[in-house]
Amino acid sequence: MSSVAVFFQHLTNGLTLGGIYALIALGYTMVYGILKFINFAHGDILMVGAYMGMFAFDFLRGDAPLGAWTFISFLLAMIFSAVFCAVLGMFIEKVAYKPLRRAARLAPLLSAIGVSFILSNGAAWMWGTQSRKLNYPFDNSPITILGISITPHQILVLIVSFAMMVALTLFVGKSRMGKAMRATSLDQDTAQLMGINVNVVISLTFAIGSALAAVGGMLIALDYKCYPTLGTMTGLKAFVAAVVGGIGNISGAMLGGILLGLVETFGVAVLGIPQGYKDTIAFVILIIILLLKPEGILGKVEKEKV
Amino acid sequence: MSFFQIILIYTCIYALMAIGQNLITGYGGMLSLCQAGFFALGSYATAILTTTYGWNFWLTLPVAVLISAICGFAIGMPTLRLKGDYLAIATLGFGEIVRNVINNWDSLTKGPMGIQKIPQAAILGFKFNPYKKTAFLIMLVVVLAICYFLFRRLARSRMGRALAAVREDEIAAASMGINTTKYKVSAFILGASVAGIAGSFQAVYILSVTPGTYTFMVSIMVLCMVVLGGMGNFLACILGAFIIQFISYFPQLTGLTNVIPAQAKQIIFGLILVVMMIWRPQGIMGREKFDYSGEKRKKGAKDATRN
Amino acid sequence: MRSLKKVALVFALVAMSACLFAGGSSESSTAYKIGFIGPMTGDNANYGILCSQAVKLAVDQANAKGGINGTQIELIIEDSEGNQEKGMAAIEKLSSTDKISCLVGPVFTGVSFAVGERCQAEGIPMMSPSATHKDITAIGDYVFRTVVSDGLQGEVAGHYFYEVLGYRNIGCLYIKNDYSQGLYEGMKAAFEACGGKVSAVETAQLGDKDFKTQLTKLKAANVEAIYIPNYTVEMAQQLEQAAQVGLNVPFLSCDGFSNPEIYDLAGDYTNGVIYIAPTQVEESDSYKQFVADYTAAFGVAPDSFATNAFDATNIYIKVMKEVGSDRTAIRNGVASIKDYQGVTGTVNFAENGDLIAYQGVYRVENQTPIYIGAYTVDGGKLVEVK
Repeated sequence: MSSVAVFFQHLTNGLTLGGIYALIALGYTMVYGILKFINFAHGDILMVGAYMGMFAFDFLRGDAPLGAWTFISFLLAMIFSAVFCAVLGMFIEKVAYKPLRRAARLAPLLSAIGVSFILSNGAAWMWGTQSRKLNYPFDNSPITILGISITPHQILVLIVSFAMMVALTLFVGKSRMGKAMRATSLDQDTAQLMGINVNVVISLTFAIGSALAAVGGMLIALDYKCYPTLGTMTGLKAFVAAVVGGIGNISGAMLGGILLGLVETFGVAVLGIPQGYKDTIAFVILIIILLLKPEGILGKVEKEKV
Repeated sequence: MSFFQIILIYTCIYALMAIGQNLITGYGGMLSLCQAGFFALGSYATAILTTTYGWNFWLTLPVAVLISAICGFAIGMPTLRLKGDYLAIATLGFGEIVRNVINNWDSLTKGPMGIQKIPQAAILGFKFNPYKKTAFLIMLVVVLAICYFLFRRLARSRMGRALAAVREDEIAAASMGINTTKYKVSAFILGASVAGIAGSFQAVYILSVTPGTYTFMVSIMVLCMVVLGGMGNFLACILGAFIIQFISYFPQLTGLTNVIPAQAKQIIFGLILVVMMIWRPQGIMGREKFDYSGEKRKKGAKDATRN
Repeated sequence: MRSLKKVALVFALVAMSACLFAGGSSESSTAYKIGFIGPMTGDNANYGILCSQAVKLAVDQANAKGGINGTQIELIIEDSEGNQEKGMAAIEKLSSTDKISCLVGPVFTGVSFAVGERCQAEGIPMMSPSATHKDITAIGDYVFRTVVSDGLQGEVAGHYFYEVLGYRNIGCLYIKNDYSQGLYEGMKAAFEACGGKVSAVETAQLGDKDFKTQLTKLKAANVEAIYIPNYTVEMAQQLEQAAQVGLNVPFLSCDGFSNPEIYDLAGDYTNGVIYIAPTQVEESDSYKQFVADYTAAFGVAPDSFATNAFDATNIYIKVMKEVGSDRTAIRNGVASIKDYQGVTGTVNFAENGDLIAYQGVYRVENQTPIYIGAYTVDGGKLVEVK
């Protein structure tokens, strides 16, 4: 392998790893942007989505060989899983977060941690702790271009996360509901006075965020497999990505995700630092970025009022 | 009773960390997520100094405090410009860095193998070890009491009032002549030091250390203790630490571990967190937040008349 | 403020009554109590659960046959979450509340160190099915294990790679945990003592799922083969991702490969892998019976650690039938076990409590391990055991 090819292979790896982070970060940032609340359970909803998708896919696909039907059944499974998670997300919001909407800022965070415990351990209880395989609905043999290998799955992850980013930006920026969401985000009481049903808006925010998590969860589980703590570590990294990009900012989440993927890959691969310190490098760089730009790369500077 | 003592021992160790977290988060209003990092620094300082260099445990305590304090300063100084969740992420990153370095610096920390055979703590030949839980507990209670009174004294002094002012409105506080950076960094350093002390005692209780003990979840649990007990109240933090430990070990305490599967225990733990927060969002002993919004005010007013 | 104090008071009362309740319920009539400590929740729960089920199966089978001299055996399973702090609480509970006769576990090395010291000090026999670190049994004479120390496994691996497979320059990718690092160090020492060179070493952190960066670096390093002494799930990821980055060299592995889960997860990527694991057990009828019983009872197949846990429990039961429930007597009984026929084969303990065993070498073909032979290292030379 020539060193140029190695470099580009690392670049490909970094970009696609970043795509995975971006996929989760989008959901995080969406809920945060509207509610100013870290949904700690987001990663666990993602895990539930992956399991649900796996069950539905296995059921729909049966023994069919790879082909058009497997892909269609994968999409159907994804829709099922997204709907399931949307309902789950709305339910969680009603039960665990709604009563705390006006409480101190940290109270909902704790409640979310509680929900996270319930979901991940509930999954372990019901579905067991072993990793389960979510089969690829397409042939995932790597494609080699100029000595660089990339799999269809990696390409798919990048495309889906990019498409999600565009769709979300358009939805929040252009649609009527999006406008209501932004109004709710600015000031819930005033939004209510203007005739916006804040409860519906918040429910919908959670529904969309959770549906996104389900889609992301299934795509990630293709590579990482389904297991009860699937969402925990990846979710944490994705949250870091969302913050670095400027939490609440949809394009920022994408940028933060890709950046984190690249930093993790190149910190080890190119800087020649012992590879054990991968996380250290990633976090040091993130802290430096935050110090240079305390509101995240694409975050809005909030003027402080006295 | 013997098992109840271990709950109390862990309560004391975690209460030390919670006291530090309370100073940073409850008084200073800074959401820090790296108590686990300082906890690990304290543990490893004691473990390395006692095993590799043959120091006495009591001599390692000040070193553990010093190392934690220096790291608290190093992380506190630059990140204080950050607000809210950005600070949370930067401190979370620091906690992960500490664990990552410990796991990889094999020549010093023995990496993932951890350090074993840590000598027991002793005063004049009387050993405080895990087999004499009562003595160990008394020692911890004394340490906790000292820290509690020191921190409470501190919080009621000029520093506590300055921190509260910074928390409520940083700009206003600065315009009143409060050196905000100085107080915020001091809070960070003190919070870190006390977590370092907790780490040292953890090391001499378990008598071996491995990086797996100091995960991100420790920081989260400490935060839960502070919020659950009630922010801004040191006694509440100790109560919070006790409640969390009590819930975590309830099945073992009552001999119900074969009845309640481990996962069910964690699910119940999650449920209790959710229910407790809905029941008392400000924490068990927390103060009611003054709020102009509709529904809460009535309830708040009623509470006020009743008290 | 008074209402708040009331709340606090109520909590204190609940706590007090609970501990009185605990004091009352701690005395139980059964004399034969086996404890188990392992991670039942958390990131590595799978290893603990698989082992605990094997222990449970052994106890249930013994109880169905009338227990020990007519008395039922009681099994108490405690969760360590894979962390020393919880592990210490677990042994505290087992030792002071339950007053167990003997302990199976802990599953992980780190927890085993902390718990082992405690068992040694209190004289509780402890037998780990999976803590491979070479120093575990050095804690004392109450500590045993039914798993081979990573020293021996690494040694056999290093010699086998050099002498039989003829590799001179290999790479390694291991996870920074006690298990994988122990195997890596053992293998490296033996391989380099033979004259080979481990020229590229990559590590990853516990919980990582993406190894493409490390695999790309290994690809660029042009090594003859790559040793991956990791847990089952991680190896499945590594094999699959190696194919994704176009890395095409033989892979060598360890007993983590003996978990049939690997074929489920990595499928055809497992073909061609050579791994070192406990000796041939597939052939024995008792092993087949165990796997069938285990699968019927729990719906999943056991891994090699669960198999070890099954043997450990049965050894205790056998000894307790002879000597009763006294801890010291059990310890002496276990130490004097000779040629115990378990599902893992013939079990003997060395002076220090280590399992005396040979290492089996397997090659995977068509997703099925093919047994090549049993080996041990004697006087710095690889010896095939017939």
